Amino acid sequence: MKPAVVEAATTLLSDMNAATSSLTYAALLTDDGFDVARFPVKTDGARFAGMASSMQALSDAVTHELSIGDSEYIIIASGKGHVVQLRVPGKELVLSALFDNDATVGHALAIARSFAQRMADLLA
Amino acid sequence: MAEHVILFTGPMGAGKTTAIQSLSEIEVVRTEATNTERHVVDKATTTVALDYGEIVIGADEKVRLYGIPGQKRFSFMWTILKKRAKGMVLLVNSDAPDPIAEMVFFLEEFRELYDRGGVVIGVTRADVAEGPSLGDYFDALERTNPGLVIPVFTVDPRERDQMENLLLALVVNIEMRAAFGMATVAGSA
Repeated sequence: MKPAVVEAATTLLSDMNAATSSLTYAALLTDDGFDVARFPVKTDGARFAGMASSMQALSDAVTHELSIGDSEYIIIASGKGHVVQLRVPGKELVLSALFDNDATVGHALAIARSFAQRMADLLA
Repeated sequence: MAEHVILFTGPMGAGKTTAIQSLSEIEVVRTEATNTERHVVDKATTTVALDYGEIVIGADEKVRLYGIPGQKRFSFMWTILKKRAKGMVLLVNSDAPDPIAEMVFFLEEFRELYDRGGVVIGVTRADVAEGPSLGDYFDALERTNPGLVIPVFTVDPRERDQMENLLLALVVNIEMRAAFGMATVAGSA
């Protein structure tokens, strides 16, 4: 991944955190499971990047199996927060973000969608 | 109907997805992503979660075929998938920098599948690269895992007949060990 892309993605994830205090972790990764950027920066994103790419591929496989079009997003709800994940439109990149329960799922999804689109615009 | 769950393991580029594609009687569930490591293995896509296929052998034995992603960064999937398997087809590509080391690594990672059922090894791409001989693989097995009896074959994962033979060797091995409580059943290459 080009350093300029990594730098832009890192800045974008920081902006995402500034937009909502409920964001506790965010990662941008390649479709084949490589960490590109993350927030907070000083975390080891390699293992999570692999997991997130597997989830993305499995969601694509499920939507294909059920003939319901393309997978738009994935939500994992838990007692302490929710993970929202979606592909950066038109790119082989995935944005995955963890929000605490102060954010509603709808708000978290709106934020994630907005920043995925901003990432796509940056790379256009 | 008797059922077996078999795991296809081995490094990226060994032919796991192709082997399951050759064997499966249903549309294979694939989880492919664009490969950004073309400098490591020159292929367009790579498995990032699992492959899944099914085949019925004999009168009524269904074999569920699961393929792992070959890269270590997906080892969490190895942990998930190995829990449900009773046997392993370990594929190693002869044109890898050190296929014997790959074989030893994956056998160690998935050793519980030998203890639980059985293992066969398929050496792929032996027709395109002069790698180690089958004797070299047996020697390495004896050196690193003395006492284990594991058949080793050269196979082309694109060839259904060859993959069926490999799979049958594994299933027979698993069933004999289950039936007779034998620690090992001799196989041959």
